[in-house]
Amino acid sequence: MDLSLSTRTVGDRTVVEVGGEIDVYTAPKLRECLVELVNEGNYHLVVDMEGVDFLDSTGLGVLVGGLKRVRAHEGSLRLVCNQERILKIFRITGLTKVFPIHASVDEAASATD
Amino acid sequence: MRHDTPGPGVGAAPAVPSAPLSLLLVEDDAGDAFLVEELLAEAGTDVRIRWAKSVREAARLLNPSVDCVLLDLGLPDSAGLDGLRRLIEAAPGTAVLVLTGMSDAHRGAAAVAAGAQDYLVKQEVDGSLLTRSIQYAVERKRADESQRRLVESELRGQENARLERGLLPTPLLEGSGLHFASRYRPGRSRALLGGDFYDAVRDADGTVHVMIGDVCGHGPDEAALGVLLRIAWRTLVLAGLTGRRLLRTLQQVLEHERDTEEIFATLCMVEIPAGAGSAGLHLAGHPAPVAIPRQGAPALLPADGAGPALGLLPGDGGDWPRIDVRLGEEWQLLLYTDGLIEGRVGRGSARLGEDGMIDLLGRQLAAGHAGQALIDRTLAEVERLNGDALTDDVAVLLLGRRPDGPVAGAR
Repeated sequence: MDLSLSTRTVGDRTVVEVGGEIDVYTAPKLRECLVELVNEGNYHLVVDMEGVDFLDSTGLGVLVGGLKRVRAHEGSLRLVCNQERILKIFRITGLTKVFPIHASVDEAASATD
Repeated sequence: MRHDTPGPGVGAAPAVPSAPLSLLLVEDDAGDAFLVEELLAEAGTDVRIRWAKSVREAARLLNPSVDCVLLDLGLPDSAGLDGLRRLIEAAPGTAVLVLTGMSDAHRGAAAVAAGAQDYLVKQEVDGSLLTRSIQYAVERKRADESQRRLVESELRGQENARLERGLLPTPLLEGSGLHFASRYRPGRSRALLGGDFYDAVRDADGTVHVMIGDVCGHGPDEAALGVLLRIAWRTLVLAGLTGRRLLRTLQQVLEHERDTEEIFATLCMVEIPAGAGSAGLHLAGHPAPVAIPRQGAPALLPADGAGPALGLLPGDGGDWPRIDVRLGEEWQLLLYTDGLIEGRVGRGSARLGEDGMIDLLGRQLAAGHAGQALIDRTLAEVERLNGDALTDDVAVLLLGRRPDGPVAGAR
């Protein structure tokens, strides 16, 4: 299983659509993508996790790293996720307190704190 | 180290290649290039030659299927040994043989010092010498490469063994009357260690403290951080610190010691006062342990009040309140890292999960397995369902009290 990534712009947000499995093998690809987006000046990111089948702790670390990068530029990183098994991982690790999690890309793209 | 006249007895006998040797000839003089082809054809050498007229062109043609580069040191764009160095850099695993003229034979030795396998003086070369030199260079390069890989994997193995010893200690439980068993399995990814760690310590009051944790990510840095956190934890426990204060201190240690801000660690900690029949559980982003009752099915302990993983919230963020757990007279607790529940079930992307793991554990208990065998059977079953060794590493430990059962202190 591989990881698919595609990015698009919605308003002033950059949406990263992630599909497949984020694990020790594929997480570097996601890290690279997030680092590149931040380096290009995209500081308000929405990571759409609806197509993610599996997420391990390395993947969580990459998301946390992404958040710390955008925050350094006063940016934001929002997640879109409705899948119970992925949400459970966020709850157990306490990441629900770190990431705003939304039910849809539209909701995430229009959200303000 | 070079040989002047390679003969049948020189070096290891070249393996008979099943496919023709692939030679990249780097030569600007069409006459010399033709001569090389003629010499090899005359000697009946099974070789496929590609011809590059410059180092620049050669660098473009280089790929892993090239067995040997034959480089004329007199090319316009290979001033000094720069051309040679560029080619070695472009294909570090490919053998390089250099050709020199009569007048600059001394440069051949310098080329060997710079990394070429051998040199030949053009005017002295015949077909059989050229053939043997190419075969020798290829074989020697292969031998060097496998030697290098062997040394690297030995070093990595030794380092992993050192780290593993640090991650997985001998528990200090003497006198506790509890039985303890544990197992650690490194993940499949190139025998690379993850950052799973655990420890068990009985303090001066007789309270038993047991902990399991996981540094997110994989590799020697994460494993080293796991060792560090385990030792910090043991030190803090022995110094009398417990509960949320211990976790807050441990989080500070992690924040100071981690390499990047991406790193966090999950941790599950249980505190069992002597003879109390109850325990205090603290969860920091870690899955809850499984309670195995004397009768009935195993079940997850409640995780209400669980706090975030260590290193996740900036500054003093995070709180890890004590969760009270009734244990009773006879009890067992199974602590584990997420590798145990992340194994695949079947071909798709489905994973075992907590519920699947508990069912599986229940079946092993029903089959009468206990102690070390219970852990080992459970792990074996998780791996069987996964279809292969698990991707992530796994640590599992079992701690319990049997009123009249055997008492063990070591794993």
